[in-house]
Amino acid sequence: MRINLIKPFVIIIFLFLVLGIFNLEIIQGARYRRLSNKNCIRLIPQQGSRGRILDRHGEVIVDNRLSYDAMVSSYANGSVDKTLSSAAGILDTNFKDLKDAFRRQYAAPFMPTTIAKNIEAKKAIALEELNQDLDNIIIRPYPLRHYPYARLACHVIGYLNEIDRWRLTRLVDYGYKTKDIVGFGGVEEKYDYYLRQEEGGLSVEVDHRGRLVSVLGFRPPANGKDIQLTIDLKIQKITEEALRGRNGSVILMDPDSGEILAMASNPNFSPAAFINKTDASFRNFLNNPDAPLINRAISGVYPAGSVFKVVVAASALEAGKVNSATSFYCPGSTRVGGQEFACWSTHHQQNLTEAIANSCNVFFYKTGLLVGAQGIYDYAVKFGFSHPTGIDLPYEASGFVPSPLLRKIQRFKKWFEGDTANFAIGQGELLVTPLQVARMMAVLANKGALVTPYIARSVDGKDISGSRKKTIKVDIKEGTISYIRQGLRSVVVDSSGTANILSSLPVSVAGKTGTAQVSRGQAHGWFAGFFPFKNPRFVICVFLEHGGSGHAAVVVTKQIIENMATEGLIDSSG
Amino acid sequence: MRNISLFILIIALLIACIGVFSIYSSTYQKEGDFWQFLYKRQIFWVILGLVIFSLASNFNYRRLWDMTHFLYAAALFLLLLVFILGIVRLGAQRWLKLIWFSIQPSEITKLVIVILLAKYFSTKSVDDISLGVNRLRIWRAFILPFLFVVIPIGMIIEQPDLGSAAMIFIIFITMLYLAGVRLRYILIFLLLIILCLPILWHFLRDYQKDRLLVFLNPNIDPLGAGYTVIQSKIAIGSGGFFGRGWLSGTQSQLHFLPESHTDFIFATFAEEWGFLGCSILLFLYYLLIKQGIIIAHKTGDNFGRLLASGISFMLAIQVFINCAMNLGLAPVVGIPLPLMSYGGSSILVTFLSLGILVNINKTRAVF
Repeated sequence: MRINLIKPFVIIIFLFLVLGIFNLEIIQGARYRRLSNKNCIRLIPQQGSRGRILDRHGEVIVDNRLSYDAMVSSYANGSVDKTLSSAAGILDTNFKDLKDAFRRQYAAPFMPTTIAKNIEAKKAIALEELNQDLDNIIIRPYPLRHYPYARLACHVIGYLNEIDRWRLTRLVDYGYKTKDIVGFGGVEEKYDYYLRQEEGGLSVEVDHRGRLVSVLGFRPPANGKDIQLTIDLKIQKITEEALRGRNGSVILMDPDSGEILAMASNPNFSPAAFINKTDASFRNFLNNPDAPLINRAISGVYPAGSVFKVVVAASALEAGKVNSATSFYCPGSTRVGGQEFACWSTHHQQNLTEAIANSCNVFFYKTGLLVGAQGIYDYAVKFGFSHPTGIDLPYEASGFVPSPLLRKIQRFKKWFEGDTANFAIGQGELLVTPLQVARMMAVLANKGALVTPYIARSVDGKDISGSRKKTIKVDIKEGTISYIRQGLRSVVVDSSGTANILSSLPVSVAGKTGTAQVSRGQAHGWFAGFFPFKNPRFVICVFLEHGGSGHAAVVVTKQIIENMATEGLIDSSG
Repeated sequence: MRNISLFILIIALLIACIGVFSIYSSTYQKEGDFWQFLYKRQIFWVILGLVIFSLASNFNYRRLWDMTHFLYAAALFLLLLVFILGIVRLGAQRWLKLIWFSIQPSEITKLVIVILLAKYFSTKSVDDISLGVNRLRIWRAFILPFLFVVIPIGMIIEQPDLGSAAMIFIIFITMLYLAGVRLRYILIFLLLIILCLPILWHFLRDYQKDRLLVFLNPNIDPLGAGYTVIQSKIAIGSGGFFGRGWLSGTQSQLHFLPESHTDFIFATFAEEWGFLGCSILLFLYYLLIKQGIIIAHKTGDNFGRLLASGISFMLAIQVFINCAMNLGLAPVVGIPLPLMSYGGSSILVTFLSLGILVNINKTRAVF
């Protein structure tokens, strides 16, 4: 063993340390003592401002405005208590509360202590004037999130809040710290890394009275980057007005690129409530059983109802189970597996176009049974169901598409013919998000491409949409698509079509209604379609939670398209 | 023999008392019950440390030999538990929260690794006398123990606690050297590590890279990672020969110095007690470590000998790295100053190590 060498080694490292200390304390001691004695180093943090969020035309949806914090320095001259009692008068509170706030926030003698946050400019000026006698009040201006349109597009934007532990553990490697204000939900969360400002500050030497001697170092704060969205504020406003008073969501999308032009969800919330938390509504949003913080357009999952018949029609046409000559008789109901399955009306003889126009259940029960559950499942997946669409917003749901195989694997249960019938009219276990429905409609509007919806167009002026534009060619014959499109058009133009009231619009609309039965409460209402019919520029999906029927959704759709036309947002030449 | 034990106890207590005074000093200006409470907790740790010391000094160290694999498994289990239950502190997951206090398994792991390697190399040398210690084949001398050590190192790096991981690595190299493994192997291994550094660099987290870069030049980031080092140097440097006196250090008192009660406790002490105080403190540490080396020399048993020198070396290197880091001579990695830094795990493990040393000294007579 070589333990003989350990002693000299230890002696050497201790000598090294002693020399190091000798160097700092004796040789350079005078210099360091001067630095520590006469001069102190202070850090003055400076905040940059968070990036703004703009709409597709550069209109500001979210920006920042100056706000003021009042701070008291216990290091400067003047008694803290005296200052606090004078400040209490200006801030409309009492001395005791301010003293408590001071105690709570106090960190170190040389660091100013915040006694009031986000105060009005008028009060800030009054406090600043106190300094003529007391000179230990510091007013710190800093940029605060400002929402000029209040609740507009709140689900797309998200809100800001103090970082929580869950996020901190995931983001700590990216430079996030406790007490950081970060985005929650929406673009604020998804693009937080770009939007967030970088803290900077001055490192200064001050003398024993706190006067500046020299600046030792400066790191400029960096502002966050602006993000431009694909949202059109005018359309967004129209959709939110049309949705007012109802629970649900509306999506307008460009069917070719996947750009989201408007995304509304109701009930909504006020992002500003999270900035100034004295606002009682902040708690309301968190505790409300209606869950206003949830973006129903992407995070809500619902039965699809009859809008799903589009998928069934596609699968049947592609499999050759039905064609333009096929027709079934609808007596108002039919028996499947010994059970009676009802239609919502008596339609008599129906071909596919008519069945889509009238949303005839009997036709689709029979068609669905011909195709089989697995066949429908395959096409549901092709049309983008059961997976998130990949939109650049957090918390997107994937929905659920049932199949005999999944049921066997997951629950060891058998699949019955009745399940296929239910599946064929979009009922049963099928769950979809409104955005998935809009995307399915886009496949028909753009003749066969499954687009990836996106909402952020550029960051800091640099176009990022290129990386998001991912389209998958859906393997469907052109004949199938144009045949279904014909059906969707007759939903509007046929006098008996379920969305016939849309025929009075100045633009040609095609689409499909849906009434999804739910076990409790009124049925959900759907309308998903596109316009102008020949050369579609818009896909629309209106979803009303417990809206009663598809008709209610058609009424909302009508109002939206009417207002868009009035505002000149639709080029009616199509 | 008895007096070596008593001597170790007295010096350890003396350093621990200096530690309590320094913690009191570095926290007494800070408002809030939490800070006022810290030095009381430290006193509690020291008392608990004494209990552990007396238990360990009466616990035959040869029984550690039988328990080695259990200890190793337990240490790995605790490290694993950190990932599952660990709570986040200072951005790293190093602590396990028990009912009212937390432990840091990486501290315990250091000692366990010393015990493990001491057993490993003493077994080999006893069993393979014909081979001779320094003729251990590369597999047995090197690769096998390396595999044992690299598992906890990997887990600790992942926490991330670069300092403790580096400590265990240094302990490993030292134990290889002490056990008489061929120098050629050790040098080739070190060379390989150096060659791999540019690759390992990419696995470091950004703040770890920052710390290493700041070590090379603290002025590149005076507000961020370099801040502590600059403040620590000012604190130590302003102490001068006699120091500023207890409770009178402006750097630590006015809280320019972060972590002044844990990793930077030495700077607090140096500011208040100056070169004179520092020299005395370092002399105390030297005396303590010297006793360990004396015990190692006197012990006939290979296991006890490797264990005693491993423990002494572990203490020495911790003192060295922590002080050097305070002086700006080593990168800022979280290594506590034994017996001085605030924290239960470090205090208890240090007292436990000293207790084992004392027991080796006592039991030696049996062989």
